[in-house]
Amino acid sequence: MKMQITSSDLKSALRRVASHSKNKRDELCAADAQLGDGDLGITVSEGFNACATLDLPEDIGTAFYEMAKTFQSVSSSSFGTLVATGLMAVAKETKGRTSLDSSEIAGLLSLARDAMLARGKSSLGEKTVLDGIDAQAKALQEGSSAALETAIAAAKDTVETFRDRKNQAGRARIFAEKSKGLPDPGQLALVVMTEGLR
Amino acid sequence: MKKILNDPQNYVDEMFDGLVAAHPEIYRAHAHRVIVRAGGKKPGKVGIVTGGGSGHLPVFTGYVGTGLLDGCAIGNVFACPSAEQMAETVRAVDAGAGVLCLYGNYGGDVMNFDMAAEMVDFEDSIRTTSHAVADDVVSASRDEAEKRRGVAGMIYAFKIAGAAAERMADLDEVTRLAAKASDNVVSMGMAMTPCIIPQLGKPSSTIADDEMEMGMGIHGEPGVWKGPIKSADDLLDEMFDTLQKDRPLTAGDRVSVLVNSLGATPLEELYILYRRLAARLAELRVTIVMPLVGRYATSMEMTGATLSILKLDDELEELLRAPANCAFWKV
Repeated sequence: MKMQITSSDLKSALRRVASHSKNKRDELCAADAQLGDGDLGITVSEGFNACATLDLPEDIGTAFYEMAKTFQSVSSSSFGTLVATGLMAVAKETKGRTSLDSSEIAGLLSLARDAMLARGKSSLGEKTVLDGIDAQAKALQEGSSAALETAIAAAKDTVETFRDRKNQAGRARIFAEKSKGLPDPGQLALVVMTEGLR
Repeated sequence: MKKILNDPQNYVDEMFDGLVAAHPEIYRAHAHRVIVRAGGKKPGKVGIVTGGGSGHLPVFTGYVGTGLLDGCAIGNVFACPSAEQMAETVRAVDAGAGVLCLYGNYGGDVMNFDMAAEMVDFEDSIRTTSHAVADDVVSASRDEAEKRRGVAGMIYAFKIAGAAAERMADLDEVTRLAAKASDNVVSMGMAMTPCIIPQLGKPSSTIADDEMEMGMGIHGEPGVWKGPIKSADDLLDEMFDTLQKDRPLTAGDRVSVLVNSLGATPLEELYILYRRLAARLAELRVTIVMPLVGRYATSMEMTGATLSILKLDDELEELLRAPANCAFWKV
């Protein structure tokens, strides 16, 4: 099933993600407090809340750019910067267009993943949000009639796959031993963000 | 906590206001926590911006001035400024020839400057280059020199790149010279008391009363050893020998040296260190050019000192000697 996504679709999607992130805020903060400073839920919730209030331009690339900038300015935490980096990669790719096709999502996710890996100087397999995005990009590449449910399942599976491994990147690395058995907060955040698209 | 302040929340902003009020001929507040030269832009000149957390004056803000930097974005104490602040600084100083982002090698600062570069490229089509100074030799081995932290030696990169830009060198040339200065400077520090972030109100690390820490970073990052306090000559020797091992100097070399207080250490003690440094360099038959002794890169009220050595060639020496003027360094 092919679907065209425009700037106004993005706007309504942002409102749904913002509302879902708000509901899940405390849950994400609690998961983050186990391994970091416990503000991840706030970063995600405030970031999408600010994006949802944007008056997005018709140019889909510029719309993603506005989201990147807003997400970054609301939270200068490294997670915020990474999300903004992913949005920026998509912005550059889609600049000058007024819509994108749902079949392009896997490719755009891969672009975002690569830009975020480069910015964070990290690799796949280190138990970060990037592993979740990678799983989503790969699952969507195979094509699916229910892309969103596929992406949600991929994000959730990643959390479980990595649960018993050690965190090897970012601040959580300091707690490598303790992190075994704990879900990665960034991977959980990706579940929340994707579920919010429903 | 014994600090002169009104409210920890306003620490950075009130410092910023005071700095601009004290030196209106040098600094101008451009936007929230963005400082630029008071004199405005020179058309066609490459801009140089820096940025980083507060708590290190004169680094970073202080080095905005003629023959030095054009603008600076500052964050809370030891916290990096936002990418938007950095992007705004780039926009403020761009005079049509592009902008070099020159700052210390810390993860958050690197990520945010990279993001800022993408923003000004996307939105304003301003060309930027960047260089992160990584001079602290104890923070990573020479094999992993790109992981080293940026400390006091970065002011030499500011000076040399700043002089080149003032002479209207183009962006690639200014960037090359910044990297060259940065590649030729090595630094090492030691601390005797930690510092206190105003909003925390207590030290983030501890050093016993009769102990010191060799190699401690400018945010209290762990060093190479903690132990009884050594004599000034022994301290200088250990730092000098470590730098010498990392980047050997030989007879006939010319260097500039910086003996820097991390905040609380008095000038007297810096000169006691300098005395030994001068003897060590004389013994090697290395010539000292324009030595700097004082508070050039601090860590709040930390007691301790850093030693930086910049190896010169004709090109670097000429640019080091070029005129410069900010509130903390005049050449």
